Amino acid sequence: MKKYNKIFGVLVVFLMVSGISALIVSPAVAADPVKVAVLTDMSGPYAGITAKNVDAARMAIEDFGGKLLGQNIEFVYRDHQCKPDVANQKAKELYEKEKVDVIIDCPNSAAGLAVSNQARIHKKLFFPIGSGTTRLNGSDCHRYTFHWGYNDYMLATAAGLWAADNLGKRWYTITADYAWGHSLLKNFKNALKSRGGTLLGNDMVALGTSDFSPYILKAMNANPDVLVLLNAGKDGVNSTKQANEFGLKKKVKIIHALFFIEGIKAVGPDVFADDYGAAPWYWKSQNPGAQKFVAQWQKKFNKPPNWMNAATYSAVTQYLEAVKRAGIKDAKPVIEKLEGHTFRDIFANPGYIRPDNHMKVADANIIRAKRKEEIKEPWDFFEFVGSVSAKDAYEPVGKTGCNMGGF
Amino acid sequence: MSAQFIGMQLFNGLILGSVYVLLSLGLSIIFGMLGIINFAHGAFYMLGAYAAYTITSYIFPNFWIAFIFGPIFMGAFGAACEVFFFRRLYKLPPLYVMLFTFGLMMAFQDIIRMIFGSMGVPFNTPESLMGAVNLGFMYYPKYRLFLIIVTALCSLGVWLFLSKTRLGALIRAGTDNSQMVDALGINISRITTLVFGLGIGLAGLAGVLVAPIQNVTHLMGMDFLIDCFVVVVIGGMGSIAGSIIGGLIVGEIIAMGIMVWPPIANTLIYLFMAAFLLVRPRGLFGREAFHD
Repeated sequence: MKKYNKIFGVLVVFLMVSGISALIVSPAVAADPVKVAVLTDMSGPYAGITAKNVDAARMAIEDFGGKLLGQNIEFVYRDHQCKPDVANQKAKELYEKEKVDVIIDCPNSAAGLAVSNQARIHKKLFFPIGSGTTRLNGSDCHRYTFHWGYNDYMLATAAGLWAADNLGKRWYTITADYAWGHSLLKNFKNALKSRGGTLLGNDMVALGTSDFSPYILKAMNANPDVLVLLNAGKDGVNSTKQANEFGLKKKVKIIHALFFIEGIKAVGPDVFADDYGAAPWYWKSQNPGAQKFVAQWQKKFNKPPNWMNAATYSAVTQYLEAVKRAGIKDAKPVIEKLEGHTFRDIFANPGYIRPDNHMKVADANIIRAKRKEEIKEPWDFFEFVGSVSAKDAYEPVGKTGCNMGGF
Repeated sequence: MSAQFIGMQLFNGLILGSVYVLLSLGLSIIFGMLGIINFAHGAFYMLGAYAAYTITSYIFPNFWIAFIFGPIFMGAFGAACEVFFFRRLYKLPPLYVMLFTFGLMMAFQDIIRMIFGSMGVPFNTPESLMGAVNLGFMYYPKYRLFLIIVTALCSLGVWLFLSKTRLGALIRAGTDNSQMVDALGINISRITTLVFGLGIGLAGLAGVLVAPIQNVTHLMGMDFLIDCFVVVVIGGMGSIAGSIIGGLIVGEIIAMGIMVWPPIANTLIYLFMAAFLLVRPRGLFGREAFHD
């Protein structure tokens, strides 16, 4: 027995010494690795568009080299099913238990606001992409949230300014009757007003309305140059299908609030042919590295990425770059490296992170949905027709309602 | 507001009403004859649209084939559902039936979402019905006129079938007293299967007809279902004529409401229903037997 005790004693001493020496010799190894999380909708209504953001983030980490501050970058993802309460819970878990340094994405504005609040409480970073509410970089802004993909102001203002300049100044709007629709309408109206146009009429339509023909007829009756459809998903398809049916497009151009390649694929190119909208990015983009990213994506999924995928890739890349520049993963130095930073990547060329409200801004693209006979390549549903400068497309400094505050 | 605009809007109400008629006919027949409140009716309607999509995209690219075989397939599917599931519910309290049909609705929606995705599928107006016709006072899309005609013919057919044929007489007799019909040597279970298949077939037809003018998604039945219950309540539970007139009334109320003040359009039908029930608690043509 005594012999065993001796061996055991030696072992303990050996372990203690080696442990202490490891702590003294290489403190960097003992620090936690950088951990990135994607929180997105993988089974709810937006899953068809956002689920692959997980792959985009993974790809960004691989392309970055997989290592940062001498350790492997860790990655986790969670599904919030498009529910704000689930998003809130998952964000809390990710920050507290999983000890992640940053959460990326989170479609659905209510969910985005909940996660942003968790980021503030835990003093960790959050990069909303899928949620478009301007509150994230307005009244609810704070140091830890960086709004990456787009916001509702930009969607409405960019499309609105361009349409008033290029399509006509007499508009009619059909608006989905909830917070998102109202906010878009306000911004579209302002854009039109600033260009001296007139709004001939607007109809607020209940969410989930299936027959839009009475509204379409009202709109046609007003004889506008442009019809603006401020709705999305099922409502967007129904209203457009029925506008086509009544031959509205023979005289009137249609503008949509949101356009996705998956949406065109689902209902076929005939429905949206020749309609316009604003988009932060499209897969034919010539930004640095964009075509390499697209080729890689095509090979993997047999379809091109949508702009949310590209935005996720960009957000992860720019976060990792910022940690690299800071040389430490603590929130404060990383945030200071991000604020006011200008960069060029697949998503933004150039992109600028505004220090006043943490909005990543870049020029907005205006796209037109191609007609069936124009589509030469699978999934090539859009054509770039113009762009609106970042300065015009986003809220002017001082008008955002954001009071950034400290750390 | 021009007279032409009001005329067009009246016409629009008729179209919307037509879809309500087709859906609530099936709902009403099933409720009237079998006593089943079918919450899955909207889901069957959705399946009808997907059946049409599957036929035109994968089997035979022709709308007319889908138009004929889509509803027939849905009718057969409905009959099969009756034999395997609904038959077991007739003797149970209504709560079980509601729970079951509600669950069935969700199951159908999720199955479709798993197969076809949540974004919907494409469906275009058939070439021969594209464009508009001049009705003298206005141009109107051909396809919508076709929809009205089909609804009118179907309603007439169902009414003739139930009131003029021997089988129709048996169905009506079975509704009033199924034990007596059984005792007279008639196979009542075959009749219930037929009735259920007919109701679902009509829902399927509505789905096929609506596919070209609406987004075909797994949730398309949800929006219509509640409105259809309003139609059935206004028209009188279990009444064919009630469904037809109720459907057209609801369609017109919505269309007129939109013309006057859109935010109230969808609420108007509930206000109308409440007011109407105060005057006629059984609806337009409701029979006493159902309200005991």
